[in-house]
Amino acid sequence: MPTIFVSPTPTPLKSKGKKLSHLQFVPSAQPPTHMGPLTAFAVNPTNLRFETQEEKESVILFLRQHFIVNVPWIVITILLLLAPSFIFSKLFGVILSNFSLPPSYLLVGTIFWYVATFGFALASFIGWFFNIYIVTNERIVDIDFYYLLYKKFSEAELTKIQDISYTSGGILAAVFNFGNVTVETAGEAPNLVFESIPFPEKVVETIRSLTEQTEEGAV
Amino acid sequence: MTTILPGYVLLILKVLFLVGQLIYGVFAGVLVRQEQLMADVLEETFQPIIRLLVIGHLLAVIAVCILSIIIL
Repeated sequence: MPTIFVSPTPTPLKSKGKKLSHLQFVPSAQPPTHMGPLTAFAVNPTNLRFETQEEKESVILFLRQHFIVNVPWIVITILLLLAPSFIFSKLFGVILSNFSLPPSYLLVGTIFWYVATFGFALASFIGWFFNIYIVTNERIVDIDFYYLLYKKFSEAELTKIQDISYTSGGILAAVFNFGNVTVETAGEAPNLVFESIPFPEKVVETIRSLTEQTEEGAV
Repeated sequence: MTTILPGYVLLILKVLFLVGQLIYGVFAGVLVRQEQLMADVLEETFQPIIRLLVIGHLLAVIAVCILSIIIL
């Protein structure tokens, strides 16, 4: 009997999948990121635990604000370090034109100035270092510290996430690829905003795929 | 020609120095306490270095205070 119809070989699906894998960000396919002091984007990080983490819960994404947000306080610190050499001599020269301070006062004042500058830089760095965003296989967590004295711990379970979006605007954000990710949750729980995080599109993609996996598991 | 500031001005300056350092010492203490609280939230490999820096900062402030009392 003659052949009436020959179905095409199903190869295109495979190649399609290959093409997509270049575009999609799959955290489970990524190697674990070794955590450094300046790490702002880590996939499957090692040697990391956070408050209220359960035994079965694993961290998939660990995020901080992009390091570029530290530039203002770094510039201020440099100016403060240079101030005694360049600014103070001229300033005190005008004010104390007829009088001079004893050397002991100048010594203590200068040392204290540098200690205070170091304290300013340290407090600023700690503020950045401990402001973290975490995505686990069960929930997303936002831990914020404001002015060293106020702590805010927010979390949203993956099943309660309704919508997720990101915004990225400005020259710096475009050059260094960072932005804000907004996670809208169901019910009265407040929305979570991940501010100035690197690779916002990857974060959105990851949370979306985790949400879908959770929903599929629930069904 | 420049002259050394009068005694009462130096005394006011000394008091201002010490009060300023005392207030800053409180800030350094708060920084240590706050770092401890933050470290409870996040356990990470770099955390001991931050603790060392924060405690070193507090010790430096105390040292400057003692130096001020001695030489001013």
